Amino acid sequence: MPSFPALVPVILLGVGAVAAMLAAPRLPGLSRWIAGTALVCASVALALRLGAPASLSELLADDRLARLAGLGICLAGLGSLAFLRPAGPSKEGPALLLLATLGGTVLAGAIHAASLFLGLELITLALVALFVLPLDRPALEAGYKFLILGAAAAATLLMGLALAHAATGSLALAALGGEGVLLALAAALLLAGLAFKFALVPFHMWTPDAFTGAPGAAAAFAGAASKIAVVVALIRLDAVGLPEVWALGLAAFGGASMLLGNIAALRQDSLARMLGYSSVAHAGYIAAALGAGAASAPAAAGFYILAYAPALLAALCVATLLGRETRIGDLRGLVWSRPLAGAALAVALVSLAGLPVSAGFFGKYAIFSALIEARAWLLLGLALLGSALGAYYYLRFVALIFRRVEAPAHAPLRWTDGLLLALATGVTLLLGVRPDLLLDLVRTALG
Amino acid sequence: MGYDMELTALILLPFFGGIAALFAGRWGRDAERWVAILALGLALLILISSFFSTGDGRWIALERYDWAPSLGVQVILAMDGLSGALLVVSLALGIVSVVVSWKITEYPGLLNAALLWTVAASNGVFLSFDLLVFAFFWELMLVPAFLLISVWGHGDREAAALKFLVFNAVAGLGLLAAVFYLGATGDRVTFDAFEVAERQIPHGVQVLLLLGFAGAFLVKLPVPPLHAWLPDAHTQAPTAGSILLAGLLLKTGAYGLFRFPPMLFPEGFATLAPFGLALGAFGSIYGALLACGQTDAKRLVAYTSVAHMSIVLMGICGGVYFSLMGAGVEMVAHAFSASALFLLIGALYDRTGTRDLRELGGLQQNAPRFAAAFAVFFSAALAMPGTANFLGEALVITGMFQVNWIFASITLISLVVSVVYATRLFKRVVFGKSRRTEALEDLTLREMGPIVLLAVATLLFGMLPQMLMGALEGAVEAALTPVTVP
Repeated sequence: MPSFPALVPVILLGVGAVAAMLAAPRLPGLSRWIAGTALVCASVALALRLGAPASLSELLADDRLARLAGLGICLAGLGSLAFLRPAGPSKEGPALLLLATLGGTVLAGAIHAASLFLGLELITLALVALFVLPLDRPALEAGYKFLILGAAAAATLLMGLALAHAATGSLALAALGGEGVLLALAAALLLAGLAFKFALVPFHMWTPDAFTGAPGAAAAFAGAASKIAVVVALIRLDAVGLPEVWALGLAAFGGASMLLGNIAALRQDSLARMLGYSSVAHAGYIAAALGAGAASAPAAAGFYILAYAPALLAALCVATLLGRETRIGDLRGLVWSRPLAGAALAVALVSLAGLPVSAGFFGKYAIFSALIEARAWLLLGLALLGSALGAYYYLRFVALIFRRVEAPAHAPLRWTDGLLLALATGVTLLLGVRPDLLLDLVRTALG
Repeated sequence: MGYDMELTALILLPFFGGIAALFAGRWGRDAERWVAILALGLALLILISSFFSTGDGRWIALERYDWAPSLGVQVILAMDGLSGALLVVSLALGIVSVVVSWKITEYPGLLNAALLWTVAASNGVFLSFDLLVFAFFWELMLVPAFLLISVWGHGDREAAALKFLVFNAVAGLGLLAAVFYLGATGDRVTFDAFEVAERQIPHGVQVLLLLGFAGAFLVKLPVPPLHAWLPDAHTQAPTAGSILLAGLLLKTGAYGLFRFPPMLFPEGFATLAPFGLALGAFGSIYGALLACGQTDAKRLVAYTSVAHMSIVLMGICGGVYFSLMGAGVEMVAHAFSASALFLLIGALYDRTGTRDLRELGGLQQNAPRFAAAFAVFFSAALAMPGTANFLGEALVITGMFQVNWIFASITLISLVVSVVYATRLFKRVVFGKSRRTEALEDLTLREMGPIVLLAVATLLFGMLPQMLMGALEGAVEAALTPVTVP
């Protein structure tokens, strides 16, 4: 049984979600504060126990990996909360964000089919509601797509779990290893279900719409926090010893995502849509590294997603700041009119492009090294091609941020946005100089 | 040799100087420029003082400490005569570029920061012997240089900046992949170039890895057909940007080729060197011929850079003592002469608003100091005896005769063509008549400073070559890989 302290973060998030929900109709401001406090407290609780000894229950693991990922998810959730705008009549945003974070922490510790499914669905359902919060056409479209595709993915996942149960007689993830047609089918269906959440081609269709239609904060959560949780699930399932089709499928989806995500992002003029397609590509790098199966792949995947999260948060925060319709031309001279936002966006895009001094450079290092270690030359070639394309489409945006403009219009920044941007930029730059700080954490977490 | 940090300081001083310059605007007028000069001057003093320390045989100074041990990344900084000479170039051109952009009033903080960061990153390239750190600085260089072109450039500057960045970032990926490969395939994860050099890498793998390295270096150099970014970048960049591009960034490509292929992949380099020679021969003629056809003075100088750097490439690929020594000398000489030409053309452009050769002329009567300065650097561009450029090219040609007489004669032809474009430029700018230059203000004292400095360097190394050649000796010996071209 996990001890009580192990459950504190989950309890905090759950109770916080209920409290925030109750406060929402009358006191939306309070609701936001409750959510923020719950996230901070949960993060602190996780951070304090980062090195505590591991314990397992039937459903949830309380190990270093779960705690590190939980911390990452809570912080990413907090980051999303920072630029979650009150939208129209609905005031439940903070509560829903807490619910999604709760789902993420559950998924990060999931070692059983039930907790895996529970975590995934908690994220999906909370996100559907978050996506449609503005109640306008694009938001409804994004939410609708996510709901329909998510339901299909959930059914696929359940079918996969059922088949796995039929093949092995167990629902504990660790017992799913082995060979056989039934289990291979189960692995394929499991993978398809998770690939939806991870936005891998061909299950990525919801991503660009979510990034443009849904509130930026919701998209940021879907792109950063929930992907941290899914990476943990992928790492755990990877270690189980599923049939060959799992790794093969992961590599194939990864390769396709790198290629198509980058090609699609190439021609986008909308900042949010570009980020959406590029997030498909980034998921592809991680999946490819995991699928190739090098010993260093889990650490590379963990490092990559944790280094990617702050850059995505900062970029989407700026996209929200400038409005959902922000196109490349609207960024003209941003660094002069809003220095912090412009600099943060530039650093974030440079990091996503994988140039130094930024976390992305070492993320690229980790992924490429894992692919080289696995001798996956085709995937390496695709990753190189993807990075080359990425360098172009990210820097196109960066080029305009620095354009000289006559008399730039200064606009104030909300303190929450400013804090998020400053912190995310700081983390991105710090990891660009001292990547070992995070990599060591990830490596010890993986044991 | 104790545990001192002078080499680290050469990278960190400009870097933190850049951060200080970013915010120095509020301390007073021109504070950011003085901060920049202070940081660079201090670094230059440290560098020069380190020349007098007793070295460790091959290296004047060597520093080694852990950076990110769990990634296998160390900081290994080593300076020999080649790096030392290029560091002097880098810091001196850094100061020159700060001085020439004195009058730029748009965002001076970021401008000086970008100048300093370009210098810091290229210093890192010239010093690093941990391959990952080398690749890190290699890519880092692009970011501030990109800003320089994109923010303070002329004309269609964003497109030029983007082209520059994309060409080099994409080429850098090959370098990155090769470096990661070297790191991941050893007994333990390490990027220590000295350790990698002792490995027995199969010949085929060497060739592939070398292609990755060479791709990055050849684009930066640049050698046709990989040069497409250069004319635009040079033309649209502000004067300071052109100076750093021509004087520093191109040299990092040449430096990389000089240093790493013979050291890490000797057999692979021997296989590929003939192709390098052929590329260089083609580039030296192509660049020179295209330079003859230009009407934009800056574009003309940009193409001469292509020609001269192609000669450097031939010198490196020749692999014999003379050609390598010539390549080393030419790298330093071209850094001074090309940046001086960019400086002069920039100053002329600021006054007349044109760089079109057909509209310029008459400097001889209207601005004699201008004319004199042009005269010095034209002679350098056509490698007149007495200039360091002559020394470099003569040595390369001497070396080429040991390798293959066809390549030697091609280099000679390129020299002849260089006389054509240089005299054409000279005639158009200095002689003749132009209304545009009638009321021209001659070079001011602030502009004369850098010009005199660069002219003295060009002539000094031309007249007293022993100083430079003695310094380059060690690096040349290490890079000797005689190739035989059938």
